[in-house]
Amino acid sequence: MAEDKKTIISILNKKSGFKQDSLFDKKTLKLIETDFKKWKASSVGEADRKNWETVPRTTLGSDIPRKLIYTPLDIADFDYRKSLGNSGEEPFTRGVHPNMYRGKKFTMRQINGFGGPEDTNKRLKFMMDNGATGLSVIFDLPTTQMYDSDDPISAGQVGTSGVAIDSAVDMEILFESIPLDEVTVSIVTHFPSNTAILFPMFLAAAEKRGIPFDKLGGTVQNDTTMEEVVRSGPEYLPPKDVFRIQCDNNEYIRQNIPRWNFTTFNGYNMRDFGTSSVTEIAVAFANAMETLENLISRGHDVDFIAKRLAFFWSISNDFFDEAARIRAARRLWSHIMKHKFGAKDARSQWMRCHVQTSGLTLTRQEPLNNIVRASYQALASVLGGAQSLHVSSYDEAYAVPTEEAALLSLRTQQIIQAETAVTEVVDPLGGSYYVEALTDEIEKRIIDELTEIETQGGYVAAIERGWLHRKIATYFQTEQAKMESGEIPIVGLNCYKSNREEAKIDVFSYPEDAEERQIEKIEKLKETRDNKAVDKVLKDLEDACKTGKNIIPYSLECARAGVTEGEVFRVLKSSFGLWSPPEVF
Amino acid sequence: MEVKIKVLLAKLGLDIHNRGILIVAKNLRDAGMEVIYIGNSTPEQIIGAALQEDVDIVGVSSLGGAHLSLGKKVLSLAADKHIRDGKIYLMGGAIPEDDIEVLKKDGYDAIFTSGATKEEIINIIEGLVKKF
Repeated sequence: MAEDKKTIISILNKKSGFKQDSLFDKKTLKLIETDFKKWKASSVGEADRKNWETVPRTTLGSDIPRKLIYTPLDIADFDYRKSLGNSGEEPFTRGVHPNMYRGKKFTMRQINGFGGPEDTNKRLKFMMDNGATGLSVIFDLPTTQMYDSDDPISAGQVGTSGVAIDSAVDMEILFESIPLDEVTVSIVTHFPSNTAILFPMFLAAAEKRGIPFDKLGGTVQNDTTMEEVVRSGPEYLPPKDVFRIQCDNNEYIRQNIPRWNFTTFNGYNMRDFGTSSVTEIAVAFANAMETLENLISRGHDVDFIAKRLAFFWSISNDFFDEAARIRAARRLWSHIMKHKFGAKDARSQWMRCHVQTSGLTLTRQEPLNNIVRASYQALASVLGGAQSLHVSSYDEAYAVPTEEAALLSLRTQQIIQAETAVTEVVDPLGGSYYVEALTDEIEKRIIDELTEIETQGGYVAAIERGWLHRKIATYFQTEQAKMESGEIPIVGLNCYKSNREEAKIDVFSYPEDAEERQIEKIEKLKETRDNKAVDKVLKDLEDACKTGKNIIPYSLECARAGVTEGEVFRVLKSSFGLWSPPEVF
Repeated sequence: MEVKIKVLLAKLGLDIHNRGILIVAKNLRDAGMEVIYIGNSTPEQIIGAALQEDVDIVGVSSLGGAHLSLGKKVLSLAADKHIRDGKIYLMGGAIPEDDIEVLKKDGYDAIFTSGATKEEIINIIEGLVKKF
């Protein structure tokens, strides 16, 4: 490409609509300033003047200093139309839709997954019966890491931290009697590689049920950060190949399943692994931008692709920071889509997001405290304008949620939606001097970090070089020390510790025979399927991998033929080879 | 010359969560121990490495729910190889209270859960090493 690769800063600086139309009258601001200085000198104590700005110490927080009080002086040039706009109009700071939650309530989408597909199917129905408005399924370790339930490496781990899925047959069982053409499903396939295997199995199952692809709605995670940076695993594919698979997934899904969100840019897992509220957004945006560039280079129109772009954020404890950052992310993404990518469709500018309240912030000690933490986190994300929520359950530090804990998480969302009236008004925090100043500051810092990633050569390069791994490791090693010392206060853990006997909570017990059942099913599958056809589709997949074709149609053929996940992963490994992430301790 | 305590650390099975073990690895190394981290490993690989590296301590990390199934396997393989009694066995992770009791009865010398601090872990390890 002959074109100069412009830096993100230069692109964003050049954007201009109209000149700054400050909300505040200059004369009045002068009066306010005079009074403010008097007040600061006479009413505010010396200690407070000295510590005018403090940095809140919260888990997974940003370093952003906060002033004692915010006034119009802190946003003197605030231009309502440029900085905010109304909801549903550029730059979408106030929300992606004009009527926000009055028009479309946030989706209550709690994660479920344990045992075999028949077990999780029951829990999905339970959640729907109790008011869940969206479904979300998470997979067990063997399925996540792409090994079959009968693989020796999977022994003892089938169904213990998610649902076991080995083939399209399991996907059929998982969604048995669930109206896939009516309810949206988040299929938490973390990685591009397991998305490329499991999502086609889901599609094959839908086909069997006669549901056309254009009736399906939902999400896959499909994020390179998750596969290469923030997970531990025995085998990794190289970052360039994983990114290619991510884009193959994006392309295929966008072209064939029109109502499907092809990636929820991460986001949550990286943040909860240990990084700041700013880095989380910067890395996700860097990935999203590089993805768009890749898909545009494949010949696609940016507005076509952007229609189904979505993000996935962690929500931690710093209440106003969490609400402000969602607003900052919306505004910045809008600018990026318009000025870097030249998106013509307003919808392309929407930073739609699913959020999950932070698991890391939930303690093992006094677990009921976690209900309170998750509630505040959920509220912050609603005030920030998120599209859908998962509220982490109070038994997070023990096991996957019991039915009771899962239900309480759902109720937390329902109480916010039905009882607090916060959803009656769009962007209720808009106009707060503090929140607007914080939103501005967060946006600046995201741009700074985007520039850092740019300097590394981009998102994939930053991963290949180990730069991102090291950045995250530095953050969480430092933060852990603060959590242990009490510099980050955690009630019941490092402050307000109680000596009282703790009431035991119920902890979930995994169905113990899931492994047996899955192994039986695989045996039966391999006996009854056409094994010649299996050999052929695996060979075709390998060719596609090696010749740069989009591999998803070939994976779909595998799913239709009854190929197991482990069998597909073996082809990916032999096609791309393995990679070792940098050691970071 | 002081001999360094040699510690083998591993993720038990296929568990994807490694923040905790990376923190522990760094802390133990900073405390002067020799740390060998082998990432995701089967019980067979863990015991194999423990033998080969002739470590003093074997520490496994499990947040994926396989602490009983694979945790027990580690100890029984250790017994098979006659290194059950000569080494210290530790586990860390997301482990329900009842299971902690089971694992301790099986022979884990200490179990660490969420909230365990660097100080606690090092003190307990040094205490166990002294007893040996």
